[in-house]
Amino acid sequence: MGYPTSPNCTIRLWGMTDETGTESREHKGVLEKALRFPEGLPGLPDLENFVIVELREDGAFQQLQSLDNTDVSMIVCVPWLFFPDYAPVLSDIEQAELELESADDAVLFVPVSFDRESRQMFLNLLGPFVVNSKTRIGRQLVLTGTDYTTRTKIELPGT
Amino acid sequence: MLVLTRRPGESIVVGENIVVTVIEIKGGQVRIGIDAPREAEVYREEIYEQVKQENLTAIANVDEIRKAVQGDGD
Repeated sequence: MGYPTSPNCTIRLWGMTDETGTESREHKGVLEKALRFPEGLPGLPDLENFVIVELREDGAFQQLQSLDNTDVSMIVCVPWLFFPDYAPVLSDIEQAELELESADDAVLFVPVSFDRESRQMFLNLLGPFVVNSKTRIGRQLVLTGTDYTTRTKIELPGT
Repeated sequence: MLVLTRRPGESIVVGENIVVTVIEIKGGQVRIGIDAPREAEVYREEIYEQVKQENLTAIANVDEIRKAVQGDGD
């Protein structure tokens, strides 16, 4: 409820699965839709294969689920839902590594984090994920040289 | 850890093709220049560390966050 729906606010560019997607009937589909992060993630270098699980009908939040360790997942969202001016820039190296020929092929989402004591939610705008929607290969960037932080506060509508 | 003493203008070579040069020392800060091949990514340690820590925090709190974002109904 209450999330904007401009064209920037969608990451439905690759196939999604719902939470029943882990049933054997659907399992092949899940794997076909997997994303690969060849370098793993900062802090989790061994986890390369992930799948996106949609968490809401309005598509506002997703779960990035590791296929290598099913205990590992994080919640992600499209940052423009909360920060319409967010404008991360990929370096030439990053673009080349992801074989991105056009910005239209890039899909971007950021981790959602949480502080237990203050119950505050954050977006990690310093470390966005970028995926090439054609190859499904992605990586987590570290936007060095910017003012973005790992803990930019968000308030959920209706809370 | 290898510890070397360098003066401003002097360099250290790492591996085949990474050169780290001390540019200037002023007011307790050191300005460092790094020449590295394009594929060698250079981060301030604390920035990379922040992203790493936040990933671990996000993963550790995934159930709480999932409940919160699903909270206002689908």
